[in-house]
Amino acid sequence: MDDSPPPPEATPPPPPPVTSGSPTDFLKNVVGKRVVVRLTSGVDYRGVLSCLDGYMNIALEQTEEHVNGTVTNRYGDAFIRGNNVLYISAAEPL
Amino acid sequence: MDTSTGIQEPFDLIRLSLSERVFVKLRGDRELTGILHAYDGHMNLILSDVEETIMLVDGMDGAPSGQGVVNVAKRKMEMLFVRGDGVILVSPPSRT
Amino acid sequence: MASQILPLELIDRCIGSRIWVVMKNDREFTGTLLGFDDFVNMVLEDVTEYEITPKGRKSTKLAQTLLNGNNICMLVPGSDGPEQA
Repeated sequence: MDDSPPPPEATPPPPPPVTSGSPTDFLKNVVGKRVVVRLTSGVDYRGVLSCLDGYMNIALEQTEEHVNGTVTNRYGDAFIRGNNVLYISAAEPL
Repeated sequence: MDTSTGIQEPFDLIRLSLSERVFVKLRGDRELTGILHAYDGHMNLILSDVEETIMLVDGMDGAPSGQGVVNVAKRKMEMLFVRGDGVILVSPPSRT
Repeated sequence: MASQILPLELIDRCIGSRIWVVMKNDREFTGTLLGFDDFVNMVLEDVTEYEITPKGRKSTKLAQTLLNGNNICMLVPGSDGPEQA
């Protein structure tokens, strides 16, 4: 790649679409929303996603633990260690 | 970013639970409650005044997990180190 | 130099298309690929999860989902999964 001229004018890049792209974008959109977190064991945690980190460690609020479709526990707050996480899925429109 | 509680990363939840009684879910159908004294980035934990609950699951084939629990064993320990890789979930006492 | 395509370039070309994800255990996913990162964590949309059990296949519909790359085994571009195969 040779020297490319600078862009003609310093317009700010367009804002990214609301639901797009990379895992990071997804996580930005989903924080504060209701989610389902499924562990590799098959256990589900349904709650409001407070925050997470690069290891996929997760803090959930108003958490319900579901095993085979039945609620087995409720937690006000829950910290889930990221290595157990299979997926994080939006449970409300983003 | 959490609006109501000022939690910015998951470990904040654990930090705010120091000196409190926490619930810990471990691999191998084990659960602990105890006073949280220390933790690190691996989720290694130091707990005191611990009660451990072990679900002894019947190994019936075809039975969905969560059913066929034949026994629940409990035991108490004064002071405990928990290796972080066994930790599934930590829940602080309810703040509501 | 012979034209070569890196594995993750192939996946990058699948963004916007349907993809079939086969996990290391008895679990599979299909969905529209929105994006992924260096760990091959994947963001999927209009997802179906398949749990393959001795009794058969249990499927679950999911909305937009971040799938942990840690347990992924294989990716089949353009496929709509076990029901199509």
